[in-house]
Amino acid sequence: MEIQNLFVSDFLIDFGHKEPAITVFKRRRRPIQPITHRDWRKPEIIEFASLFTARMSCNSSVTRVHVSSVGQTPRVPVHLMPCEIEHNGPAQVSQYLTATMKDRKYEKTVSFRGRGLKGQELSCPQGYTGLVLKEINKTGSDQEDRTVKVSSVFDKVTYWNLETAPNSDDTIVMAMDWPELAEAIHGPVDD
Amino acid sequence: MRRAGDQCWGRWFTEYVSVRFPKKEELKALKVADSKTLTEAEREKLFQNLDEAKSYVGWAVNILSPNVISTCMLQRTKYNLNTLSHDTAIGLVQYALDNGVQLKEVFVDTVGPADKYEAKLSQLFPGIEVTVRPKADSLFPIVSAASICAKVARDRVVKGWNFAEDLGNVDADYGSGYPNDPKTKAWLLKYLDPVFGYPQFVRFSWSTAQTLMDSKAVTVHWDDEEEDGEKAAQRKNNRSMLSYFSASAGGNDQTPTHQTHRFFTERRLKSLDTL
Repeated sequence: MEIQNLFVSDFLIDFGHKEPAITVFKRRRRPIQPITHRDWRKPEIIEFASLFTARMSCNSSVTRVHVSSVGQTPRVPVHLMPCEIEHNGPAQVSQYLTATMKDRKYEKTVSFRGRGLKGQELSCPQGYTGLVLKEINKTGSDQEDRTVKVSSVFDKVTYWNLETAPNSDDTIVMAMDWPELAEAIHGPVDD
Repeated sequence: MRRAGDQCWGRWFTEYVSVRFPKKEELKALKVADSKTLTEAEREKLFQNLDEAKSYVGWAVNILSPNVISTCMLQRTKYNLNTLSHDTAIGLVQYALDNGVQLKEVFVDTVGPADKYEAKLSQLFPGIEVTVRPKADSLFPIVSAASICAKVARDRVVKGWNFAEDLGNVDADYGSGYPNDPKTKAWLLKYLDPVFGYPQFVRFSWSTAQTLMDSKAVTVHWDDEEEDGEKAAQRKNNRSMLSYFSASAGGNDQTPTHQTHRFFTERRLKSLDTL
């Protein structure tokens, strides 16, 4: 089953770093409604409106996102690193990172490649679930259609700063302002 | 006062020995010598003697783990090994004073220029006669004794190292920790993780570890690293300044009519038209 309706009211976080997979936040608990009145040529933010398959197109190619299995997908700890790691694949996160993390009163500390990191855990905005997407059968060509699936989901993300204590000016903390603002701008108007 | 070794898991300890009573002759009788000229067994033996001479020798070590050293040395605002060593030594002298030791003289093996270091310590601790010399451990028995305490303490910690990482049974046959030791070399190759590099046991700032990671582990880019501007821009898929001078400036990938609001760029929020 393929539903082609997407609507513009949500957001994708570009972490600014190469991620092992693409991470998006999916809205839930809201009636799914096909939206037709928005300008599709310049979508600011896209929500995957369907619980089955979302689809977006760019030029001639189509990217399909399978979100049907979110319910059974394992919940995983997710770390947002303050560096770019030239690696795309599994890593021994629990053995090296989780095992050496220290919980202080207002922050967590850990070291990565000999550098000191400070961070904290951040919950996804209420009503949202974080998705980790993985591309199936990567083609390499941007002309062909692509398919991505949800490989894991998360409610919390641990983000790390290089040496600086986590604070409200951190990009990801500020990014979480958007859902509320989006709701105010795009949400239904009560009479 | 003496710090121990330049091994990859070395340079952990700055330490002091205080003589409670001025019995320098007795200290000589303990036959302490520069710890580098001693075997591990000899060091252990001498350490026993020192420990038994409690009535007139007291000692303390300050442990700096390789991880502390790495994170200090690789810090955004550079904190070099000499300053770190000085600060640790100062901390130890203060520790002795805080514990009621009536310090009259302090002998220190130098790190960096001896006269500057001596002046620094003298200024910090007025009333204490400070002597800083290169190779102080072969000049003053008290510094030799300190050197033995440091090395023995380090050897013991290294031997019984408790890995914070969840790596199962780690091969404890890691040799001396000096880069020319074949056992150390083999261990460093065996325990290199492509993403994380090494356990915290290894000092990341150590050039041998850096070289191995550069060739065998994946590259990691940090925001504060100095990097060739053009390359960095390419990697981040940005346009470098130079591209504005080329003929194709303002190519089709840019949409001139639609400029993203600061609200989104500050939050690294991007419109999604492709994954």
